[in-house]
Amino acid sequence: MRTPAEPASIGAMTRTAIEVRGLDKSYSGRPVVRDLSFTVEAGEIFGLAGRNGAGKTTTVEILQGLRGRDGGRVEVLGLDPARERSRLRPLVGAQLQTSALPDRLRVGEALRLFARLAGDTVDWLRLAERWGLGALLREPYGTLSGGQRQRLFLALALVNDPRLVFLDELTQGLDPVARRETWQLIEQARDHGATVVLVTHDMDEAERLCDRIAVIHEGGLLTCGRPVELIGATGTVRVRFSTPSAAALEGLERITGVAEIAHDGAVADIAADPHAVVHVAAELARRDLAATDFTVIRPSLEDAVVSLLNGGRR
Amino acid sequence: MTRLAALAATEMRLLMRDWTVLAFAFVFPAFDMVILAGVFGNQPDDGYGMQRPDEYYVAASIGVPVIALALVGLPVALASYRERGVLRRFEAFGISTVKVVAAQALVTCGLVVLGAAVVLAVAAPTYGIPHVVHPWQTALGFAAGTVTLVLLGVALGLAAPTARAAQAAGLLAFFPLFLLGGGGPPKGVMTGTMRTIADALPSTVPAISDPWLGVATVDSSLAVLAAWAAAALAVTGWLARRKAA
Repeated sequence: MRTPAEPASIGAMTRTAIEVRGLDKSYSGRPVVRDLSFTVEAGEIFGLAGRNGAGKTTTVEILQGLRGRDGGRVEVLGLDPARERSRLRPLVGAQLQTSALPDRLRVGEALRLFARLAGDTVDWLRLAERWGLGALLREPYGTLSGGQRQRLFLALALVNDPRLVFLDELTQGLDPVARRETWQLIEQARDHGATVVLVTHDMDEAERLCDRIAVIHEGGLLTCGRPVELIGATGTVRVRFSTPSAAALEGLERITGVAEIAHDGAVADIAADPHAVVHVAAELARRDLAATDFTVIRPSLEDAVVSLLNGGRR
Repeated sequence: MTRLAALAATEMRLLMRDWTVLAFAFVFPAFDMVILAGVFGNQPDDGYGMQRPDEYYVAASIGVPVIALALVGLPVALASYRERGVLRRFEAFGISTVKVVAAQALVTCGLVVLGAAVVLAVAAPTYGIPHVVHPWQTALGFAAGTVTLVLLGVALGLAAPTARAAQAAGLLAFFPLFLLGGGGPPKGVMTGTMRTIADALPSTVPAISDPWLGVATVDSSLAVLAAWAAAALAVTGWLARRKAA
């Protein structure tokens, strides 16, 4: 029996955990996933973002073998989920967007049952302690708070010591404290060797956790990259600093990459390419305008994704 | 312990915590038997095919827990699991819906036997347990009736869109089956139409009580039960194919 503290066998992993090429899926003739392609590397936390109905959950369900596909090629840990689901199943853990347990089922019973169903590969009592469920073992599922339920689902998703974990909107509806606790648990799961696929609408969560994010729009891939790359792709940052004189700003518009300069009588607001910021700062220093509140405002990941989605009609 | 046994053991524990199901399955049949057998007495009666009413109701009440558990308890549990995403939770873990349904069906069968035992335990010191004229046929009728109603319960549970709908449909099926199927008035006092309907119902009661009391063999009941079982299997198969699509 492997204890929960023991990392999964990374050496046995293929470098690519998931490969999706030209995936198609329709419901009653309505396309939900269209020509979707992306890869997930082993050991990373990979985010799937996009509007409601973009096809994220369907994609994740196809990757788990819970749904068939209409076209395209899918390999998960080197296996085809549609044809080799029974071989894939023990290697994968999942937390679904909408699922529950019977209200009267106690936490300890749930962990023991799922551990047994998984072949007792993990000591469920140690797992309970690791995920902070030790004090809740006799509590029925129906009495748990949202955060406690999500912690239990995360533990159940890991009860078979999986190499790949799918988490679909795990922190939806949680209070900020419970959400941050759950983020730590997800990072712990990755630190123990699991690859994590995280479906989320929470861009703070995606920015904090994900190594890479795929933005899905109308069933297809809009873009995929590291959070910082997605933010950078929006192209504009804002520079703000106090200066009483609008005249002091004259000529800054000639710096390559500066798009717009505004002054409200007290504060200057410059929209610019990220690469232009250092040149603006240098020019201000050259003019002896050493503003003490010089602030560079990057767009958030949410700004970037919204901008991509609004401009991203396929 | 196999996966099915682990699931069934958990399901049994959960059901034992639900006093409403236990009351309906165990208390109601025994309570019903005590009242009806007491009211109609122990003198052979024409309406009962010259059987003693108390013996008729003791034998008939053995089949009531089957109707209660299979047509109300099982469909509500299944529909609730589907509605709340419990089945999906198991499916994502590699436990097929068929296995969860099988575990619930297995537990229902176990509770049916327990329910019958409770009826006998209450009957023994009150009205006595009537002599079993055809023991093997009685056992066969009990088994066939249980299997048929459990299959119908599974079909109902998978077809109902919500747990509330399953409960409503289950109760709608329960009462005619209970009242016309032998748990209420005997066939001897029914009108012709009522008797025709009663003969076509998938009732466990005559399948058990007829061979028990020696009124008839189990053959005619088996034919009706087999037809209903086939229909239930067909509906379940169709629902499963629709879900897979």
